[in-house]
Amino acid sequence: MLRQPLTRALALSPSRVAPLAARKFAAQADKVEVFIDDKPVYVPPGTTVLQAAAEIGVEIPRFCYHERLAVAGNCRMCLVEVEKSPKPVAACAMPVMKGMRVKTNSDLTRKAREGVMEFLLVNHPLDCPICDQGGECDLQDQSMAFGSDKSRFTDIHFSGKRAVEDKDVGPLIKTIMTRCIHCTRCIRFASEVAGVDDFGTTGRGTDMQVGTYVEKMFLSELSGNIIDLCPVGALTSKPYSFAARPWETRRIDSVDVLDPLGSNIVVATRTNEVLRILPRTNEEINEEWLSDKSRFACDGLKRQRLVTPMIADSRGNLTPVEWEEAIVAAATALRDCPPDKLLVVGGDLADAESLVALKDLANRLGSEAVCTEHYFPLDGAGTDLRSSYLLNTKIANVEDADFVLLIGTNVRFEAPLLNARIRKAFIHKETDVALIGPKVDLTYEYTHVGDSASIVKDLATGTSSHEVLKRLENSKRPVVILGADQLKTSEGPALLAYTQELALSLQDKLENKEWKVLNVLQRTASQVAAMDLGYKPGVGEMLQKGPKVVFMLGADAGVITRENLPKDCVVIYQGHHGDAGASIADIVLAGAAYTEKNGTYVNAEGRAQQTLPAVTPPGKAREDWKIIRALSEVVGARLPYDNLEEVRARLAEVCPSMVSYGDVQNNNYFAQARALAQSLQKPVSGTLDVQLKQLEDFFMTDSISRASPTMAKCVQAVIKQKQSPY
Amino acid sequence: MSNSIVKLLALDKLSNLFNMIKQNGGIRGSLYKLYRQEELKDGVLVGEDELGNKYYENPRYFYGRNRWVEYNDKAYLDYDGSQVTAEWYGWLHYKTDLPPHKDPSRPKYKWMAEFTENMSGTTGQYVPYSTTREKIEPWVPKQKSSA
Repeated sequence: MLRQPLTRALALSPSRVAPLAARKFAAQADKVEVFIDDKPVYVPPGTTVLQAAAEIGVEIPRFCYHERLAVAGNCRMCLVEVEKSPKPVAACAMPVMKGMRVKTNSDLTRKAREGVMEFLLVNHPLDCPICDQGGECDLQDQSMAFGSDKSRFTDIHFSGKRAVEDKDVGPLIKTIMTRCIHCTRCIRFASEVAGVDDFGTTGRGTDMQVGTYVEKMFLSELSGNIIDLCPVGALTSKPYSFAARPWETRRIDSVDVLDPLGSNIVVATRTNEVLRILPRTNEEINEEWLSDKSRFACDGLKRQRLVTPMIADSRGNLTPVEWEEAIVAAATALRDCPPDKLLVVGGDLADAESLVALKDLANRLGSEAVCTEHYFPLDGAGTDLRSSYLLNTKIANVEDADFVLLIGTNVRFEAPLLNARIRKAFIHKETDVALIGPKVDLTYEYTHVGDSASIVKDLATGTSSHEVLKRLENSKRPVVILGADQLKTSEGPALLAYTQELALSLQDKLENKEWKVLNVLQRTASQVAAMDLGYKPGVGEMLQKGPKVVFMLGADAGVITRENLPKDCVVIYQGHHGDAGASIADIVLAGAAYTEKNGTYVNAEGRAQQTLPAVTPPGKAREDWKIIRALSEVVGARLPYDNLEEVRARLAEVCPSMVSYGDVQNNNYFAQARALAQSLQKPVSGTLDVQLKQLEDFFMTDSISRASPTMAKCVQAVIKQKQSPY
Repeated sequence: MSNSIVKLLALDKLSNLFNMIKQNGGIRGSLYKLYRQEELKDGVLVGEDELGNKYYENPRYFYGRNRWVEYNDKAYLDYDGSQVTAEWYGWLHYKTDLPPHKDPSRPKYKWMAEFTENMSGTTGQYVPYSTTREKIEPWVPKQKSSA
């Protein structure tokens, strides 16, 4: 494993952990003075020359250096002249010393750079016109900025340039290994962040090759990030290959909704078509990484779309109709329905605007049966106290934890970037991890405590003899993460109560009163917003009553089926994909996907963020809250908002934190939640199981990724790789 | 001598006018013709094509206006140049002086396509189909068996 003394020593460099702005719990240190181009700068000791230069805005060219990866120092592009040093030094690996004078633009520095660049270009193909990296290539940019204006490379014997055979590393990453400049960023990312030690180099000198030794797929949920990391076009995106140039695309900042973390993304579009999705740096959530599902499922936005409203004809076949007809049909169904027989279900990908509009509409019609698909115990504090259903520690702070206890969750696939944080803490901070639940591969070592729910009870009551209890009690910043999936069963309330008891008793004993221990990891992007708005989690109780009309807002998790509904029940489905929900519907209202609307999503921490419209909804599809607003007019229960500002004003009325975008509130009332949960601490006997165990389970979890051909290819490739002997 | 007096008094023009009105079916018919084709002419009917258009000639008019077509009444005001059949096109445009029924060198084969007028702007017009794939593939609901 990577967790070696050397890597730990390197890990001391402050840049590899999130900046102080995002982390409250890091220590400060004294600073030393160095001079970059005669400009003084004060930096903490251990900072490298390159980072010190970056502080005052002097950019030193680099290929192998990446601030979130270990220092390799093998590309030599960052050579700079340091006074009183006989040779130029690699700025990325050289720690600053007191009074050091660095010259980043001297003749010696420039000559060194030009020499390095000349060597790199000698072995790099001149295929920029057909290279997908063109326009966003570090080698292109730096050869323009720092390279020489002429080359001494003349292929006088016409023997051709160095050529390397391409590798097959799966359906997401295209490799053109001739372009590789051996920066080893991909290798370091794979072993440090992704936790897959498959990449490496073979050979040396001109025979050096980066690859997987044997032909093997890059089995990781974070594999797409090596495309962004690659400074040249050696690793490019397979689904995006030959699609567009970066200067042709329009980039719209948005938020991912395919996992509960709400990673920040940039949606690149051209001619009203989403071409690719890239991560956007947000130190508090995703740093600069993005999971493969969020990155590559965007081709699912172009398939299986609902482009027109539909109504079931006399034979029960859905046929396209005009909006007027569909709205009138839906309004008639809603109006004819007795209020206690109306069921409203909010789905996984619903935005807060449409959720609040739908809830207001249902309430105006006299119905209180407004639910989400995923259950959460309503006993005790239920969803009244935000602290009982959020990640209270916050994602960025997880890397300051010294002990992480996971209960019934496979963080690696439920929230890949949270897992990357835990792994980062594990590697750089000596954090230990324990897991209660089925044994899964989390990409790092952990103590497997068992998979029975009673372990949580024993830990909470202090009767457990397992070493984990002692370690939890001794740790200064423990984190307990409970998977929300475990709360579906009848033992859910007790499990939540015990987890609360355990986490809060630990929290009470901490010296640091700011540190939060209790975390509940939701599974979907909409669940937190729905619960904030007062949706009742779970539909089970409402289904018992036999609803006459079911309004599903993107409810595709398959919780509601024709079998568990009465025969004459009218199902209205509003959403953007033809999936489980639309196929059982009588009336289909075509909505917009997350790249097509300005929507508010609240992530698992309780952080409100908004998506921005990158493309227009296809065909006759419309923004979701507008459909509900139009419907309310026809039903005769007009909703009092006509534009987005007014809807958001309504959101702010219900939950003020939902419109303070980017901020996350500190949760309180832990003690009250704990007190309310006391009576629920009943014996538990079940075992904890998680839904996503293997990598192939990860790729297709919602209506967008299920429609994506790339994700389907990934599943196939992973299954195929598992059968291979390597 | 009398001819010159007739010319002097422009009586020949007057007789032409009467002739035209007579040929075009009296005052009522002439007004209708004027309304429909904004022109009143007299001439010799040279022939009629398969669409029912009538072709006239009168050498009294100057070259370029001495051959004309009067479209089938069925077309009413919706007539245009593309309704002149391919056979008559040549005669009407002075490519030949022989009308099709008098021209021996015009073979007719059964593979020759039937004449069609230009359908642009009507429902029968040609619309090219797109060969590029749709950007968005819509969902096609599963058809339930008819019961």
